[in-house]
Amino acid sequence: MAAARRAAASWFRLAVRHRSSQSQVPQHGLVAKTSLSSPPWPEVKLPDPLEEAKYHAEVVQKVNEMIATGQYGRLFAVVHFASKQWKVTSEDLIMMDNVLEAECGDRIRMEKVLLVGADDFTLIGRPLLGKDLVRVEATVIEKTESWPKINMRFWKRHNYQRKKIIRNPQAVLRINTIDIFPSLS
Amino acid sequence: MTGRGTPSRFLTAVLHNGVGRYVRQLQRLQLVFSPTAPDARGARQFVEEAALDFARRHPGVVLYVSPRPCPAPLLLAEYLNGTVREELVASKNGEEIARLAAKLADQSGLDIIRIRKPFHTANPSVQGQWHPFTNKPSALTVRGPRLPPQ
Repeated sequence: MAAARRAAASWFRLAVRHRSSQSQVPQHGLVAKTSLSSPPWPEVKLPDPLEEAKYHAEVVQKVNEMIATGQYGRLFAVVHFASKQWKVTSEDLIMMDNVLEAECGDRIRMEKVLLVGADDFTLIGRPLLGKDLVRVEATVIEKTESWPKINMRFWKRHNYQRKKIIRNPQAVLRINTIDIFPSLS
Repeated sequence: MTGRGTPSRFLTAVLHNGVGRYVRQLQRLQLVFSPTAPDARGARQFVEEAALDFARRHPGVVLYVSPRPCPAPLLLAEYLNGTVREELVASKNGEEIARLAAKLADQSGLDIIRIRKPFHTANPSVQGQWHPFTNKPSALTVRGPRLPPQ
């Protein structure tokens, strides 16, 4: 009697498994075409890695040639300075809102260069470009104070007002040169 | 007094200063003080202790020291662009006056008003201004809503 019951239970389990497996694997013809089964955008075809490598080598060689022969016009750079990122070209003016240790007339080299661009190519750092690759130099022109900013606190009907006049130090810099050295890493 | 209500200017430099070399914009500095007044004690201290040091450190600046009876001690700064700034140094000690003189020497004589942008460039774009079709395939520019599709 017990053996028969066990056999029946195993049969039942088998049947359940069979049904569950059927429900889990959908048949291809029955799937509705929705945005989940097939995305609405056209399928992205990635280029062949070999061809891509060849193309990249070509581009790098072309850029190297341009740099070696000096066939680039004005350069611009993105520089991290005074906890801000500045897009600069030569003869630009930049004003930072803090104390600068350098004296007026000092020439500064900006070492955190994130990007250098010419007319036809752009060198992007990951995150920074090497010091032997780019050199951005600037001169400190002026060290002043900002205009007097008024910080007013007022609480109506409470006979409370506080007035504070704030002037923060500022420094103006002139970007002198942006140079690329002919060595692409 | 913020925003539109205040006078403002853009970031500039006098006569492209710093493109070739840096030229200090302070031309002459005159310290006018009374030889006897008690509020000019700091000015006299500055003349005794720090004036020579200041003159040595800023060779491009002419420093005049004129002791004469006057209502309050003054620092008169003349800049290359014609600005004249008067700073009252009454009842300031020698150190404070030296710091003020150094600050005046580092400034350019332009108005100290609100500066609209912290940068100035004569070449705003090197690679051409961005438009919606930059770095897009040229087929996109040909096919438009009014043109027949290729």
